[in-house]
Amino acid sequence: MTGISLPASPSRFLIVLLGGRYLALDAESIQGVLTFEEVGSLDDPRIHGLVYRAINLAEQLGVSNNQGTANSRIVLFSERGAHGSIRVTRVQGLLELHPSQVLPLPSQFRGPERRWYQGMILFAKSIALVLNSSWVLDVQVASVEASGGEGGIPRLVAAQKISMNNSRIC
Amino acid sequence: MLRTLQNYHRGMARQSYQLLVFFVGGRRLAVKAVDVSGIFQWAEPIPVAGQTPFVTSIVRQGQTVLPVFDLAASLRLTVQGSRPLCLRVKHPLGEMAMCIDEEIPILHTLDPAALQTYHGKDLPADGSYTNGLDEIPILSVSRLGATE
Repeated sequence: MTGISLPASPSRFLIVLLGGRYLALDAESIQGVLTFEEVGSLDDPRIHGLVYRAINLAEQLGVSNNQGTANSRIVLFSERGAHGSIRVTRVQGLLELHPSQVLPLPSQFRGPERRWYQGMILFAKSIALVLNSSWVLDVQVASVEASGGEGGIPRLVAAQKISMNNSRIC
Repeated sequence: MLRTLQNYHRGMARQSYQLLVFFVGGRRLAVKAVDVSGIFQWAEPIPVAGQTPFVTSIVRQGQTVLPVFDLAASLRLTVQGSRPLCLRVKHPLGEMAMCIDEEIPILHTLDPAALQTYHGKDLPADGSYTNGLDEIPILSVSRLGATE
């Protein structure tokens, strides 16, 4: 029996704008997209009993993010039982791509950023950098541990998938 | 590499080097023409947060994405002109883009005998040559961005 390699299945990415830069998040890890009103006054959104600790991604990436506009959203995501939320300037939409369409970060980038990004996507006339969700959540864990807060160890809880309202996604 | 070429041509009819002379912040620099893959209008770069010195953005040219080496910043200069140019060079890790002054680069033929060692430490060089009172370094593209 000869082995036939099946074509790689397409991947879906949520494209967001953060401080004027396009970022792509693996849609598999996205648990929901909320408005500020839906989150209420909570710093760390609590959805279905799960706390999605707020991650200051703009600070981590050295991006200035003017939050609080009408288009701003809070993206909830989860991976390997760890949960986090990030505030973004705008959600651009979902993009389905063949894995070969995700370009590697050029080798000239030699620093820790190689762990921050999983690649690049040509988007509109620009480029979206694919964020490494694991790194983003690791940042959250490190931040919590550094602050001495509880929850430093990600809880191994199966995340309940929250359906995204398509009307909110362009 | 230039020295190797020089040795190769020892005893033979001396062959000249083709250089591209360009400007960054008004400073004249040269690069071997064979290391250049194109010159374009500069497009707005897309910043990439990271910690690699002087490689902090990418630029898109059609379906191609190039990392940008900020040569001007590495030399503590500012690119001059309202319509800067993009110098696309062949780096061993893949092509790279550099923003250069809007002044149109010039092709220059250099006699191997005019090649000298560049003693400056401000940029990686494969040598230099003298033009009037100016010493013009020949940029070593392969060593751009390498840890010194």
